[in-house]
Amino acid sequence: MEKNSTKAMIITLATIGIISAILLTFVYQWTIPYIEANQEETRRIAINEVLPTAEEINQVERESQIFYEGYDSSGNRVGMAYQHSGGGYNGPIELMIGVDLEAEEIIRISILNHQETPGLGARITEEEYKSNFAGKPFGDYEVVKTPPSKTMEVQAVAGATISSANTTRIVEEAVSMINNAYGGGS
Amino acid sequence: MSEFTQLVLLFFGTVFVNNFILVRFLGICPFLGVSKQVETAMGMGLATTFVMTLTGAATWLINTYILEALNLPFLQYVSFIIVIASLVQFVEMFIKKTSPVLYKSLGIFLPLITTNCAILGLALLIPLNGYSFIGSTVFGFGAGIGFTLAIVLMAGLREKLEFGDVPGVLKGVPVTLIIAGIMAMAFMGFSGLITI
Amino acid sequence: MSVNAKQLISDFKNGLWQENPIFRLVIGMCPTLAVTNTMVNGLAMGLATSFVLISSEIVVSLIKKLIPGDVRIPSYILIIATFVTFVDYFLKAFYPSIAASLSLFVPLIVVNCLILGRQETFASQNPVHRSFADALGMGIGFTWALLLLSAVRELFGMGSMFGLQILGDWYRPMVIMVLPAGAFITLGILIAIMNVIGKNATNDTTCH
Repeated sequence: MEKNSTKAMIITLATIGIISAILLTFVYQWTIPYIEANQEETRRIAINEVLPTAEEINQVERESQIFYEGYDSSGNRVGMAYQHSGGGYNGPIELMIGVDLEAEEIIRISILNHQETPGLGARITEEEYKSNFAGKPFGDYEVVKTPPSKTMEVQAVAGATISSANTTRIVEEAVSMINNAYGGGS
Repeated sequence: MSEFTQLVLLFFGTVFVNNFILVRFLGICPFLGVSKQVETAMGMGLATTFVMTLTGAATWLINTYILEALNLPFLQYVSFIIVIASLVQFVEMFIKKTSPVLYKSLGIFLPLITTNCAILGLALLIPLNGYSFIGSTVFGFGAGIGFTLAIVLMAGLREKLEFGDVPGVLKGVPVTLIIAGIMAMAFMGFSGLITI
Repeated sequence: MSVNAKQLISDFKNGLWQENPIFRLVIGMCPTLAVTNTMVNGLAMGLATSFVLISSEIVVSLIKKLIPGDVRIPSYILIIATFVTFVDYFLKAFYPSIAASLSLFVPLIVVNCLILGRQETFASQNPVHRSFADALGMGIGFTWALLLLSAVRELFGMGSMFGLQILGDWYRPMVIMVLPAGAFITLGILIAIMNVIGKNATNDTTCH
């Protein structure tokens, strides 16, 4: 009796487990193309946002990182986009950064994914914060709470200093990754 | 920063800055349900910490060597919940055999831990944050200590509240939630202390 | 009306108010507090939970006789986890922005005690049609409670509803409402109000 019931228990759980795994395999096969297409689409929109003048995007791999080089219609390189992520206030923040390597400055940034608090940290996705970085030279930035008075100052989102500081740090890291891969911006 | 400093920061960050209960909203059910007395709250906290530390280590292994190695991301939730359920079962049997005293104090809490969302939440956060094996274990331990801290503090407040004059409609759950809200505000003071 | 239909209606109505998961039973608190910072999140979480609740109650009710008593709970959890994974991939594929904002709390539906609790107390003891009525009522009950809570939090915390600005520039949002502290306090006050309306207040957490 004892043995029988143990056997029945194992058989039941194994059966449910196998059926579940089979069903989920189908679900995965069915949804994964859509999920990948969504990610691709988000990335494409972000690259367009950070390299507004680029007509054609080339994906290149350097130092085992993927970079997106943007070219205008006459084939001149107008900028580079790079996707980078790091820790935020509630979870990882994923952003795309577009830079002008020749001028050694940031063109724009775009936030792809984040878990920040709605109404506070989530406002890093708004133009007011993102525009902080437009045209900023490469280097280390300082997060301030008032409208920036110096070139290297970045104004934090009101009430979300931590989210702002984290995003700024991720931008700095992204810039140094690009600098590393492209030999100091030459 | 050295590896060790980072682990220490991760631990304190998990206990205070990103407290599982008061900041991440994980493990609210036991927080409200098992916080009437400090002693039981302590028991629940310790049992949970124990399971969380093991879960941190176990989920990292499962995720790295099975789910990622065989490319089966869609089985993540199913396998994590099985790991947690069996871990709880195993811990229960182990404690029962080795230490009847400990079993007496922790035993009644163990079955409840399987459905504690703090544990599954912990398991899910590990691949998301990309911790190392040691990091995952420290993260699990820190999460457990943070959980214990919040639940024991709450129990202390509720023991005092027994003698307070609480308006009728607020008695029970409502006043507990309001206290939790004030505690959450206090814990907001830790935010930004450590960034990981 | 036949006895059968009356029974079904009472099964359905049970979850709406009398045993409302959030306001009366006080279960499933983690998603309740965590995702109700905006109404879109609250509604999405309510619907996702309802779907998992309805499907798993149907399945459990159908196969209840085949499951040995000792592995009841693990079997239910496996079934629930399967449906949750389905919902998660479905949202990621077709509603990526909602999936991103609910993030961790979609998989955490697995351990929502409301769902496991209903399998244990209802679906495992009742026929399919009654389980369906129960799950539907509980699902709607959970969803409206989440919507109410998120409506209060979004309106006071951001001055908007469903993302549309309702209150004008004169309103200074109470940021605390969208933060964890505001979630606890709002829910506490709402439960107190429900206790006044419902009079016979018996709420005490039934599952830990």
